[in-house]
Amino acid sequence: MTLNTTAETETAKIARGLRERDMELLADLVERCQHRLVRYLLYLTGRREYAEDLAQETWIRVLQRGSQYNGRQRFDPWLFAIARNLAIDYLRKKRKAVATVSLPNDRDAMLLLPSSDPSPFEAAARSEDAMRLAGRLQILPPLYREALLLRFQEDLSLAEMAQVLGAPTTTVTSRIYRGLAALRSAFEEGDSHGG
Amino acid sequence: MEGDKRFRELIDRSFVEEVSEGERQLIHDHIRDCDGCKRYLELTARTIRGLREFTFTSEPDSNAQVREILAHHTETMRQHNVQFKVWAAFAVALSMSIVGSALVYQVAKLLTVPMHFDTAQVQAGVLVFWLLPSFCSALRLLAAPGENRGIA
Repeated sequence: MTLNTTAETETAKIARGLRERDMELLADLVERCQHRLVRYLLYLTGRREYAEDLAQETWIRVLQRGSQYNGRQRFDPWLFAIARNLAIDYLRKKRKAVATVSLPNDRDAMLLLPSSDPSPFEAAARSEDAMRLAGRLQILPPLYREALLLRFQEDLSLAEMAQVLGAPTTTVTSRIYRGLAALRSAFEEGDSHGG
Repeated sequence: MEGDKRFRELIDRSFVEEVSEGERQLIHDHIRDCDGCKRYLELTARTIRGLREFTFTSEPDSNAQVREILAHHTETMRQHNVQFKVWAAFAVALSMSIVGSALVYQVAKLLTVPMHFDTAQVQAGVLVFWLLPSFCSALRLLAAPGENRGIA
């Protein structure tokens, strides 16, 4: 109960600060969230330079549209939702610039295409298992990668994930299960002689 | 085999969603006798553990850069806001000047006969003593420097 009240106070404070364009509050939010924001965008785009650029764009959007944050839910899902929309638009423009074929209309379809760019995941892997997963993550559709990150690294609830992804929770869970299945096979194949 | 599929779905669910204590016990009882599902559970746990073992380091000056960009944008937005206020004030002052002059002209026309003025004199009077001064005041809003401009 106390924790809830504290959380409410915190989000209300953020909402007020964003409405008033309080630079101190923004600096504090950047300090707290920038690292996670870049990580999320990295999972989404698969490219470090895109992630850094998009993170900056996201903060500018937060500054411009801060009054739209109502303070009733946590700040992080709202931030990730902004970053996601920007990333999709950015990837759409990028691919439009190089592709001559027509693009899918569905916004999420942009994220279904696996990235062919070099992976930042291997550089970030801190264990043998993570290293094994890195190869899979690289070829995993970003849509699934994103779902796995939000659930198992950001520890968002399914409802919060649904808010970020703009999809029903059934779709969210299905993406997590599919992502897990794809990654699990990295171990299944590697250890097949042992099972 | 169909039973295993059901249990594996339950295992997945236990990692992603809330499962009841009864369902958890069911998994526990099942994996005691089923090596396939036991391995499935271990691999799923290992996969999730592995996912938590990625550490992305951000650029050292990334936060400072973002703060700088935000400060710059805040200043730009503040300036745009001031400009908008200035033009809004000018528009309001200009309309008041025109509407006010029209009203004054109507009143002055009524006084033409008792005061023995002709229409041209009234028009000149309104132009020189009302319309031009009020129009100049409106223009001054645009010319005033920085913070002193506009309604604010």
